[in-house]
Amino acid sequence: MASVLRILNGRVFDPANGIDGEVRDVCIQDGRIVADVPPDAKRIDAHGMVIMPGGIDVHCHIAGTKVNLARKVQPEDHRHDVHMRTRLTRSGTGGSVPSTFTTGYRYAALGYTTAMEAAVTPLGARSTLEELHDTPVLDKGFFVLMGNNLLLYRLLQEGRDEEFRHALAWWIGATKSYAPKLVNPGADEAWKGHRNANITDIDGRIEGFDFTPRRVIAAFIEAANALGLPHPVHIHCNNLGHSGNFATTLETMKTAEGRRAHITHIQFHSYGSVAGKSRENPTSRARDIVDYVNTHPNITADVGAVMFGRSTSMTADAPLAYMLRRFGGGKWVNADTEMESGCGIVPFTYQDTVYTNALQWAIGLELFLLSDDPWRMVFSTDHPNGGTFMTYPRLIRLLMDREYRKEEMAKVNQLALDHCGLRDCLEREYSLYEIAIITRAGPARLLGLADKGHLGVGADADITIYEEHADKEAMFSAPRYVIKDGELVIEDHEFRAEHEGRVLHTAPAYDPAIEQVIEPFFEDYYSVRFANYPVGDHYLSQHTVVPTAAAAPA
Amino acid sequence: MSLDFTLHTTPSVPLEAEALSAAGLAGLSAAEAARLTVVHGNRAAEVGEFFRVGGTPDGEVHVSGDLTRIKRLGAGMTGGRMVVHGPVGMHVGTGMTGGEIVVEGDAGDWVGSAMSGGRIIVRGNAGHLAGSASRGDAVGMRGGEVVVFGNAGNEVGSGMRRGLVAIGGDTGDFTGVNMLAGTIVVLGRLGQRTGAGMKRGTIVSMHPADLLPTFGYACSYRPVFLRLYLVHLRSLGLPVSDAQLAGRYRRWSGDAMELNRGEVLLLDHP
Amino acid sequence: MSDPIRIVNDATCTFCGCVCDDIVLTVDTEQHRITKSQNACVLGKAWFKEHGIEERPHALIGGREASTEEGVEEAAQILANARFPVIYGLSDTTCEAQRVAVSIADMIGGNVDTTTSVCHGPTGIAFQGVGESTATLGEIRNRADLVMFWGGNPAEAHPRLFSRYAVTPKGMFIPNGRKDRTVVLVDVRRTQSTPVADIFVQVKPGADFELLWALRALVRGRRVDGAAVERRTGIAMAVLEDLVVRMKSCRFGVLFFGMGLTMTRGRHFNAGALLSLATDLNEFTHFVAAPVRGHGNVTGADNVMSWQTGFPFGVNLSRGYPRFNPGEFTAVDLLSRGEADAAMFIATDPASNFPKPAIEHMHRIPVISLDPKPTPTGQLSHVVFTTATYGINVAGTAYRMDNVPLPLRPAFDSPYPSDEEVLTAIRRRVGELLGGNRPPVGAPPAGIVT
Repeated sequence: MASVLRILNGRVFDPANGIDGEVRDVCIQDGRIVADVPPDAKRIDAHGMVIMPGGIDVHCHIAGTKVNLARKVQPEDHRHDVHMRTRLTRSGTGGSVPSTFTTGYRYAALGYTTAMEAAVTPLGARSTLEELHDTPVLDKGFFVLMGNNLLLYRLLQEGRDEEFRHALAWWIGATKSYAPKLVNPGADEAWKGHRNANITDIDGRIEGFDFTPRRVIAAFIEAANALGLPHPVHIHCNNLGHSGNFATTLETMKTAEGRRAHITHIQFHSYGSVAGKSRENPTSRARDIVDYVNTHPNITADVGAVMFGRSTSMTADAPLAYMLRRFGGGKWVNADTEMESGCGIVPFTYQDTVYTNALQWAIGLELFLLSDDPWRMVFSTDHPNGGTFMTYPRLIRLLMDREYRKEEMAKVNQLALDHCGLRDCLEREYSLYEIAIITRAGPARLLGLADKGHLGVGADADITIYEEHADKEAMFSAPRYVIKDGELVIEDHEFRAEHEGRVLHTAPAYDPAIEQVIEPFFEDYYSVRFANYPVGDHYLSQHTVVPTAAAAPA
Repeated sequence: MSLDFTLHTTPSVPLEAEALSAAGLAGLSAAEAARLTVVHGNRAAEVGEFFRVGGTPDGEVHVSGDLTRIKRLGAGMTGGRMVVHGPVGMHVGTGMTGGEIVVEGDAGDWVGSAMSGGRIIVRGNAGHLAGSASRGDAVGMRGGEVVVFGNAGNEVGSGMRRGLVAIGGDTGDFTGVNMLAGTIVVLGRLGQRTGAGMKRGTIVSMHPADLLPTFGYACSYRPVFLRLYLVHLRSLGLPVSDAQLAGRYRRWSGDAMELNRGEVLLLDHP
Repeated sequence: MSDPIRIVNDATCTFCGCVCDDIVLTVDTEQHRITKSQNACVLGKAWFKEHGIEERPHALIGGREASTEEGVEEAAQILANARFPVIYGLSDTTCEAQRVAVSIADMIGGNVDTTTSVCHGPTGIAFQGVGESTATLGEIRNRADLVMFWGGNPAEAHPRLFSRYAVTPKGMFIPNGRKDRTVVLVDVRRTQSTPVADIFVQVKPGADFELLWALRALVRGRRVDGAAVERRTGIAMAVLEDLVVRMKSCRFGVLFFGMGLTMTRGRHFNAGALLSLATDLNEFTHFVAAPVRGHGNVTGADNVMSWQTGFPFGVNLSRGYPRFNPGEFTAVDLLSRGEADAAMFIATDPASNFPKPAIEHMHRIPVISLDPKPTPTGQLSHVVFTTATYGINVAGTAYRMDNVPLPLRPAFDSPYPSDEEVLTAIRRRVGELLGGNRPPVGAPPAGIVT
């Protein structure tokens, strides 16, 4: 079904290949970019348009038991934002947690072709794969929550580091996931076992064990490095949202000691503190965070920007959700998963008049504007935690259009701006080239997706064509064409074809003997049988195994 | 005079007729009105397939027949006057913001749910969820009046934020559940669990009621504001007696589970 | 000659929401019978034992024997022509089949509802108002030292809830099993479950809400009229106060609840009060609530509906987009009010348990039924498909009551198609008849963004 296609006259932005707005042809055949196609191939005249690789969302919450709970709990969130069916496409509902078909269509309609679900429990992996199967167009994968896994903790406790590595590899393969995820490492036992406590010190001993969260983080970083995973450990640091937490973030990054590590939604982890009336109020320490990332090429990050409006907080960081509940005043969902993880969900609205929210919004922008290396400080709102993916075009405009940014800054709580450095970054504007880096080329590189995020020969033919527009929000809201695997999925702003994307997963090598370590633990403590735990291949429809690399030098 | 719609064919499945709202019909001739779209299951239909349309448009609309299968009559109405002759289905006046609807007969569930202005009068009985919130919403009615001469079912005025609901007969359970503010007057008997979760607001009944254990008796008095409301309701035709106008009411404050600033006023029968 | 006896390890029982996956089946593949089901409770054993292969027509049309293909054609015609059809059931089939069923409802612009609406639908509605603190069953087994059951009789309806998950087994932090736990049971009468409890609270029928409300008030330190509580619930305040102390001081508490709460006067408010109680207790300790689900894959049905439409049950797709309204679009109401003009029932038998007006209406409209066995619903149906049974003959996914997805391991093959196969064939044919999905109708009501 893939077309043979030539796109001409458009301005191409392909940073991975150093192409910065040059007018050149892009040729497609058999789902890939090729050097040339026959002269009678179908043509798209992209005159006045901008051509980029398809967008890649490095961190979002779109599929799985937690996401589905968030859908179930707020019918009022979807009721007023419906998605009509067409002859070809399924109906659905939107809001901050859209239904699966709507998720796929809307991402595609924004020019996105790949998205990574950020946090899935191993026990729920099957569920995520089922939902991803019902999420059209996109290529997709997910990060599996391992950072509070009790068997891995036991292995660490007993100094069985090599088995730790094999077990991690086993788990990634068994769940068909893409990378290991750490969320508030070490805190689950405090939450579940100690009356809803939390931990705040990454050098404090984890209750019930003789090691610290720092040790956990280091162990994962080392193991992931040794396994040569395409994407390193994806870390949601401890102390998310707390005043003064920038220090925890810096210490977490230092733990990597030159090895690859990814810090996610780093905006939520960039706060300093100043004494307030009854407690510490947050301030911005974005400068400290960005300085560290700028000077340590082993670290990558996604910003996790906040955008004003209705959103939903959904996170594996259960104590965080419980704290947020006090601000929401309404519904709260908590769901613990045995031996592995937990989650919390709180509907949330970010308001520009509220000090903390305005500060969060400003810090997100600050991080982008201070970053020296857009390849390693990439675009995200932690959808829907900071804002939904429907806010992406507006965020792009804030980065590209300093006049617009100034107008918006004038509307927000001004005290918040006093406590951050955004006023000092007023002049910088992101170019289309840089946008292409933070939304396409950078994510592809840090995810280890060699065939995505660029338009060189051999790349997957995932392409977005935008009509060039002075108003960048308008421009990025409605691509004229979206091509996925060489197929024209959106043409003249309308859906033309149904398309099923691929699940991307990785299968690191492990010693099969590790199953003899895992299985008895299972039988003792899990409530499901070991044989029923790994996800069978039949849950994968279209899929690609992304290979691991030879381990980087320690 | 008025634009008149008389049912000539009962729809085989429920008909969603929000096109028939007084403001929406403004300026349309009978012939034009007959061509408006109504939703008949999964197919679009024209008003004329079910209604004979006559009269002249002047801001008043009359709808007649056994309208039990007609849903959403007057939904989202913004102004004008609609008189419905006959029993009518669900969602009458749902989400309305202005105007007046009179139902000469019984109405189904969800009368005036999520409304923010205007007035609905039901001369017969209403179903459940009159003047209520939509599912999942914390806030229901934001304004307007719902007056039912007969009985109403459960969850009257759930999540109410502002406005007035008056029931001439009895109500079912959970009257005023999760109320935020506003006033509910019940001339008959309240069902069980009145005012559960209420934060503020007033619920009145002319009969004794068993209240939740988180409600506490406060005092017995003659609330001035209540007299004003009752006079208003009498002017709308509800049978408010002199004894009720002049009476003392026992005040119960609650729900202590929440803000405890709500009240249930029960007519004191000496 | 190969051995006709086959052992299936780690098989999943789908009789109830416990969805136990540790069953060892001994299968006689020649006789198509399960002769042994080790680890299954008495209900599971009966479930496994009763299945075999019986000679039946693949389909019936108007009572006349037909092939599956003929049945598909007839069913597709009915669904493609219907104006206000309802698809219902779904809780006793695989997620794979559920997904196809919802896609058909979208295609034809109909209503789709699951048995949740007559069981824990009120819990779903309560959840939408309040949220929920919950946990997987293994968490409860490993940590719960206070285990409460409200409005249910697990000893008879979910036996292994006691023995595999919540009362007797040892856990990681519960080394002595039953001895480390306090078990509380709240119900309106004594049942087989009562002897299992350390504390039995016999509440007056119809007073669960007041009892829950009083407990909540005590937990939150709010004023409560003790005399009114005692009068209404029949329980002395001292009992409530003791319970509250236990709930606040436990290390990990769980409140299981069932239809005694959801299907009695108060319904979703009863469930909401219980969910709120569990939530409120998290100010003091770790506390979860857990609805005890009836049918094997009803949780799966909730999930499939929610991810595909945004709503868990009672969904209408007539106008081209999902709308949710229990009471308006739930099957029992659509049928009782005589509104649906066609129905497709999947792995369910409403003619046996729906109210009389609903059953009467079912006689008046064209009904399609998919079921492994003959049922009263099949008898009144115009088109009947004999299908294979999920978990016995058909593989797929089922969700346990705590949202854990599990694979099914079938015991023996069936000559009949699965629900998924039949529904997929119907969808294909309906798609041909309609030229794709039905287009949306009418403008969306004011206030809705498209």
